[in-house]
Amino acid sequence: MSERRVVVLEVTRMEAAHIAGLVTQFAELLDGTEGSGSDPAIARLVPDAYRDDAEAAQEFRDVTEGDLLERRRQDAGAVLTSLHEQAAIDTTVEVDVSDDAMMEVVAVRLDADALQAWLRCLAAIRLVLSTRLGIRSEDDHNPEDPRFGVYEWLGYRLDGLVRAASSDD
Amino acid sequence: MMRATPEIDEQVGSRRREQTMPPWQTVVWNDPVNLMSYVTHVFREYFGFDRPHAERLMLAVHHEGHAVVSEGAREQMELHVQAMHDYGLWATIRKAPQ
Repeated sequence: MSERRVVVLEVTRMEAAHIAGLVTQFAELLDGTEGSGSDPAIARLVPDAYRDDAEAAQEFRDVTEGDLLERRRQDAGAVLTSLHEQAAIDTTVEVDVSDDAMMEVVAVRLDADALQAWLRCLAAIRLVLSTRLGIRSEDDHNPEDPRFGVYEWLGYRLDGLVRAASSDD
Repeated sequence: MMRATPEIDEQVGSRRREQTMPPWQTVVWNDPVNLMSYVTHVFREYFGFDRPHAERLMLAVHHEGHAVVSEGAREQMELHVQAMHDYGLWATIRKAPQ
């Protein structure tokens, strides 16, 4: 089965550092949150399970929100672990663009569990960014806002990992 | 003539009850963020659907705005919906329309 496959992500240290930076911010957002009631981006990660029954939706949320947000923290931790162990990315040190080593390509090997954590984590960060950017349709795009570039770059990386994960032909 | 065992009677009874009660559904809704490839991946990975089935459902979500991906007992549908939320998909539970 494709799930047993190891996927290798080839990135420059520079890009790996950018991914690590975003994932670290995501983890900080999760750690600092008081739940879905206080932040629409967090709410998007735990949407209403019942459309026409607010009471049932709240009950469902009471039961599932803690677990779902904990899983987001674990996924973020797993992504940072792979970057730290395999790309020697240290999120506590600032990226130095003049350092030649930043342009070096590194291979990040992802086993089945790590890969699934990466997929869920990149998807979740895109959800958070989309809420911040106010994306309401697939055509929403502002070329003058550099944050859209980050959103689309993450989509490109997520799509590549999905294809690697599910290529069976 | 063979007599049905009590156990079989019980099974038939519970099947009849299920038929008279409206089933619940797991519905996945279109959103502008999740990639088509990712949604297909989730349907294959979680529900074990083959690629053509997963792609059909993904396209139904994309073009029709939503798709019913599972039907059954409410508790089971709640597990599916939580799983979909875990992947970042927007999913809800509802009673099957009569």
